[in-house]
Amino acid sequence: MTVYLDHAASTPVDPRVAAVMAESLARGDANPSATHGAGRAARAQVETARAEIAALVGAQPGEIIFTSGATEADNLALFGLMRAVPARGRHLVVSRIEHRAVLDVAGRLEVEGCAVSYVPSGREGLVPLSAVDAALRADTRLLSVMLVNNETGVIQDVGGIAALCRSRDALVHTDAAQALGHIRMDLPSLGVDLASLSAHKMGGPPGIGALWVGARAAPLLEPMLYGGGQERGLRPGTLPVHQIIGFGEACRLARLAESTDAAHYQALTHALASHLLALPGVRRNGTAQACAPHLLNLSFSGVDGEALHASLIGLAVSGGSACGAARGEPSYVLRALGLDDTAAEASVRFSVGRQTTLKEIEIAAKIVENAYLRLLELAPS
Amino acid sequence: MSVSEAYPERVLTLFQTTPGAGRGEAGVWYIGEAREPLSATHVRVHLQVDGGRISAVRYEVRGCPYTVAATALVAQQWTHGALGAVSLAPRALLGELAAPVTKLGRMLVVQDAYCLALQAARCKA
Repeated sequence: MTVYLDHAASTPVDPRVAAVMAESLARGDANPSATHGAGRAARAQVETARAEIAALVGAQPGEIIFTSGATEADNLALFGLMRAVPARGRHLVVSRIEHRAVLDVAGRLEVEGCAVSYVPSGREGLVPLSAVDAALRADTRLLSVMLVNNETGVIQDVGGIAALCRSRDALVHTDAAQALGHIRMDLPSLGVDLASLSAHKMGGPPGIGALWVGARAAPLLEPMLYGGGQERGLRPGTLPVHQIIGFGEACRLARLAESTDAAHYQALTHALASHLLALPGVRRNGTAQACAPHLLNLSFSGVDGEALHASLIGLAVSGGSACGAARGEPSYVLRALGLDDTAAEASVRFSVGRQTTLKEIEIAAKIVENAYLRLLELAPS
Repeated sequence: MSVSEAYPERVLTLFQTTPGAGRGEAGVWYIGEAREPLSATHVRVHLQVDGGRISAVRYEVRGCPYTVAATALVAQQWTHGALGAVSLAPRALLGELAAPVTKLGRMLVVQDAYCLALQAARCKA
């Protein structure tokens, strides 16, 4: 049996979500853009789901644009705003600890003539307001900072950053993929203009996400794709009804279980942290004072990272983001927090989900403890 | 990818069982030590010699599974070997463990540690 503690990479689809998706597929939902009765019925399903997603983030349904996931939403937010203006005056600010879906887009925009500033984070994993203030310029069009970091779980002061940006007439995008369903969110109150959302990090299906577009950004955003008028012309293509229904159901369930889910996640990560932080040489990456309840990132000093991960038999965890693992390099997020390559490699991200049990946490803690102590004993003193 | 898919079976077995791991206890032991700071790889080898032959090998190692497996494998190969006859070739180690060529640097650390211990033993013998 494998204990699955990699929910930040992808959560298993909640059985109740799978059930409504299966119903949609069995029903053979029509194209929701069609004007006949079957099309209108499918459209009603889509709009119900859109309303559920909007309700979870305090938004209006009409502000939700469906995408294939958070990566596409990040692309649409950054490309859609930055490409819409002439090169002169196109200044973008991103933090150094953003997901690759933001950093790689920023890199591409630089090639296209945009000026990009990269804001560092502190050792606690927080992006300081002073650094944002220093990076903003008169011609800054957009700043992108993630709400919950996908590796450390640190919750950024997005509200403070957004207020600062508004005072300087810059728009704000936040990647909220790890926040959705894990911390309470009210996007309009947060002060951001755009937010990327993902279904498969919170019990929904992979392959569906959304970009929330607030009133300030809506008239400025341009599409990346052309070919139809769906999603207010911002994201053409036939809507995947069963996936949207699944996303909506996952949001409905998250809203109903908001307080119980959060308490459950907190109890699990607290139990795991208490056990492992008692071991010599184990430290937490990122501040515990502002951390999403489902994430815990620890570094294990004195051992080789590859050996540590190879020793975690029966445990599904990751060294950083799944996307970073595919590149086979130490986490740039942890290095930005001041860890050297060796310490970054000897770090483990644990992320729990609704189905995770305390018994599984106890098993996982023992697996990690045994593996770590064995490697420490093997190493020259 | 599971651990069993990520590494050859021989590497996994040596990494997980580490036969002969530990320090030399009673008696005279000849020690060789090498490290590579960038990857924090660190190998310390302890050789015991009796009548011109290596009677026992112990080792301590911090490194990736290939490094641990290589250190354990050489310990097996050198035990009971004649002081003047044992040798170690990092490229041959790569081949024996089906290790990727990117691990050559770590095999050199293993070689350095063993050769320094052997040198110490030969000087005293």
